[in-house]
Amino acid sequence: MSSIKTVVKRRIIVVLFAFFAVYAGLIGRLAFIQIINSSEYQQKAMEQWTRDIPIPSQRGIIYDRNSKKLAISATAYEIYVRPAEVKDPEVLAQALSDVLEMDRAQLLQKISVKKDTVIIKKKVDADKVKALREKELSGLIFIDDCKRFYPQTNFASYILGFTNTDNEGQDGVELTYEKYLNGFPGRNIKMTDAHGQELPGSEAKYYEPQDGLNLVLSVDEVIQHFAEKAIENALVENKAKRVTAIVVDPKTGDILAMAVKPDFDNNDPRKIPEELLDKWSTMSSKEQYDALFKTWRNPAVSDTYEPGSTFKIITSVAGLEENVVKPDDRFHCVGHVTVSGKRIKCWRSYNPHGPESFAEAVKNSCNPVFVEVGQRLGKEKLYKYIKAFGFGTPTNIKLPGEAAGIVRGVNEMGPVELANISFGQGISVTPIQLISAVSAVANGGYLMEPRVAKKVIDDMGKTVHEFPTRMVRQVISKETAATMRQILEAAVAPTAGSYIPGYKVAGKTGTAQKAEGGFYVPGKFVSSFIGFAPANDPKIVVMVVIDEPGGAQHFGGVIAAPVAKSILYDTLRYLDVKPQYTPEEAKLLQKPLVKVPEVEGMSLQNAIKELAKAKLKYSVDSEFEHSLESVILDQTPKAGADINEGSIVILYAKPKE
Amino acid sequence: MPGKNKNNMDFTLLITVLILLAIGVAMVFSASSISSFMKYDDRYHYLKSQGIFAIIGIFAMLFLSRVDYRLFGKFAMPLVLVSLVLLVAIFIPGLGHGAKGAVRWLKIGPWTVQPSEFAKFALIIFMARSITNKKEKIRSFKDGVLPYIILMAIYFVLIILEPNLSMAGSIVMITFAILFAAGTKIMHLAIWAIPLVPGVGYIVLSKGYMLKRVTAFMDPWADPLNKGYQAIQSLYALGSGGIFGLGLGNSRQKFFYIPEPQNDFIFSIIGEELGFIGTATIVILFLLLIWRGLRIALLCPDNYGCLLATGITCMVGIQSMLNIAVATVSIPTTGISLPFISSGGSSLLFMMANMGILLNISKSIKASGG
Repeated sequence: MSSIKTVVKRRIIVVLFAFFAVYAGLIGRLAFIQIINSSEYQQKAMEQWTRDIPIPSQRGIIYDRNSKKLAISATAYEIYVRPAEVKDPEVLAQALSDVLEMDRAQLLQKISVKKDTVIIKKKVDADKVKALREKELSGLIFIDDCKRFYPQTNFASYILGFTNTDNEGQDGVELTYEKYLNGFPGRNIKMTDAHGQELPGSEAKYYEPQDGLNLVLSVDEVIQHFAEKAIENALVENKAKRVTAIVVDPKTGDILAMAVKPDFDNNDPRKIPEELLDKWSTMSSKEQYDALFKTWRNPAVSDTYEPGSTFKIITSVAGLEENVVKPDDRFHCVGHVTVSGKRIKCWRSYNPHGPESFAEAVKNSCNPVFVEVGQRLGKEKLYKYIKAFGFGTPTNIKLPGEAAGIVRGVNEMGPVELANISFGQGISVTPIQLISAVSAVANGGYLMEPRVAKKVIDDMGKTVHEFPTRMVRQVISKETAATMRQILEAAVAPTAGSYIPGYKVAGKTGTAQKAEGGFYVPGKFVSSFIGFAPANDPKIVVMVVIDEPGGAQHFGGVIAAPVAKSILYDTLRYLDVKPQYTPEEAKLLQKPLVKVPEVEGMSLQNAIKELAKAKLKYSVDSEFEHSLESVILDQTPKAGADINEGSIVILYAKPKE
Repeated sequence: MPGKNKNNMDFTLLITVLILLAIGVAMVFSASSISSFMKYDDRYHYLKSQGIFAIIGIFAMLFLSRVDYRLFGKFAMPLVLVSLVLLVAIFIPGLGHGAKGAVRWLKIGPWTVQPSEFAKFALIIFMARSITNKKEKIRSFKDGVLPYIILMAIYFVLIILEPNLSMAGSIVMITFAILFAAGTKIMHLAIWAIPLVPGVGYIVLSKGYMLKRVTAFMDPWADPLNKGYQAIQSLYALGSGGIFGLGLGNSRQKFFYIPEPQNDFIFSIIGEELGFIGTATIVILFLLLIWRGLRIALLCPDNYGCLLATGITCMVGIQSMLNIAVATVSIPTTGISLPFISSGGSSLLFMMANMGILLNISKSIKASGG
């Protein structure tokens, strides 16, 4: 009995000490957590309590010159999921998959991840978010965001560019004017409870977002439309690789339109190009990126090409300015010219131009005459003008990726190189360089810097910053410019593809063979037209470049000039430029209208008869040798058009084999 | 008669219990006010019920401190039978009451009672009485150890079926503590560890959520949103409290980061608001209580009172130890309330009742012994 009692007492003391030991351990553990590791846990807890919510700033609107919205920021949402709060992942995945058109299995995997929050999609439209909200699913979070939206898809793609998912400009004016368009996002830092509600008495910090400013472009939406429509047709009709058109106001250097087809959809710039759909999945990500990058490349400023005959305008004004040639100087074309023992052919060597004035030589685009003018100038002077017109240097247009072009240095220029450059070969230019140079001719010799944006305005419409027009230099005298305009007006005869009665169109066509790897590629051409109107007081300069036309015709005068004509005609009427008819044009307009008959496929002989019946004149495109048996490939205007009696129908005959 | 001598009541123990009770009521209010407002639109919902039970508890304690503890010994067997009936009654549909897939309460009219609390009470009285009667036979395996292990096993099975792993576990620990204190042979107790190993293994493996708790304990950050969530939140609360705490009422973790902060994790909220000073004070208060309780056991003139005091003290000591160990992520997360402090009327009433009995035993100590 007493032994048990002793044992019990001893045991109770053991229990007491055991408790002491365990509780001392617990105090040690508490000291470890609350003193030694306190700051670490405190910091983590602080992170848990603090929510730093970015408040997106609204990106500025991009307007055309007449305040039409070309790029806007619409309210959008970012959708997140808190996996821990999801009641039924299957149901949620299905709902998200239905509304957002995403893969259900992937979504299910995403929302089953053991993370605090998982991003599902950015830039979700308000209506889709509304549809999801109505389903009342737990675990979904919607965060305000902005989405860049281009109301007209595939419109002025290369001017506007696009933004990335963080609303940062990636291309076009979105990139070059990023610092104005992008505001500063705000932040809302607050302490919250586990449900995201602000903790009472906690200090919340709110930083107001600063919205971006609005950009006013020099572009005119209507003229841009004309250009887009015209080159879209040209692309299809000529089975071309690409068509580019630029419209410039020569007095200011303002880009009124810059259109390229095919283009891309600014709203979805990462859409897989159609022709690559089949092999896209087999391409490496670098290949995919390169392919997309190619579609974003703006040929109007980034691609260089050999200008060919359109460059003769530069040789001409240099010659006129230096007084080495006059418009009525006489020349004689024998179909070729020999320079340093090398025979350079005129493009119409099969039927030499024979005797012609300088002005006629411009119209005829006669190569030997320009070789002669180039020789009279000498390489130093020609080079001086080439550089003065801005070739070989970027124009400083505010669009990304501008190329400088390649101009041979004056010391590397031998007699053959000089001869070639005189008629536009052996030099590479960008379309924007050439149209700027020709605009200088249209603008009394003053070279203007091309301008895409006029000003930056705030939401009240107040101008915050102006981008003034900039005259780079006077390249030629007003007189020389005026003379050249007359010569170029005369070059656009009533038979030419760009002729518009009453509008005094002046211009020059060009057809250059494409060079690849230092050699000319047979069958690959760049056909172009550059011109302005009205010749006596140019309002607009238009340039059309058709890259690799794949149809029956490839001459600039045949395929590029009509495209320019359509843009010129639409634009001049839109700008309310009153036609000024010559007496002959006025007389023609008095005559009754007749329908143009269908003569395509006929022999030339029969076509002439058919047109005579309709009381219409004809002109055969003279760039080819042809006979009365030649088959008519094409006609302008097309059959069925209403034109005045006595008007000329241009016929394109199949060249003699 | 020793039980009639009021002057000998353990005053230190009484004060300790009352301090713990006061801290409990204050902290239940502080911890619960936010979720109480959300749930009942009344900041004081838990304060009111906890306050009422605290007052009832104090009266129950004072009343029982005047009832001779030997009286309970006479009803040891009926108490055990009643407790078993109550534990079984839980499984009768309509009587059982619970939440989150566990049925742990009996609903009798407007009252809910936790039969497992009553079971602990019955078990301690029965063992104290029965072991005292066994005298020297306690050294035998068949008479001294086996019957109590069997009774414990019955309780264990009934409670684990609710399921209430932590309560079942503390029943085991209390049983072994009493058997150890009663002077059984160490080998007779140690031998039970052998079948226990595969048994625990089976439970851990068969019940998914139990296994998850074990793995969460090893690295709470491996799965911060699910299994490790409570452990992490508890550490955040304790850690942010630092040495001095954020001040009474200033917990941030009670804003739904810690679910039901007035219950099992109230110790974490105390740590956040009152700091290490507060948590260490509570640990020391419990140690004080254990020391007084075991001192009463040591000085109690009769074996029955000695074992009864040991059982009651061990029960409090083990439960608060488990609760604090969970809050400090020293053992896997398990739901066990902190005696005198966590909200919950049924548990508080039984605790206070037990204290009343302990105080009554303290009166049997001869003045010279104190």
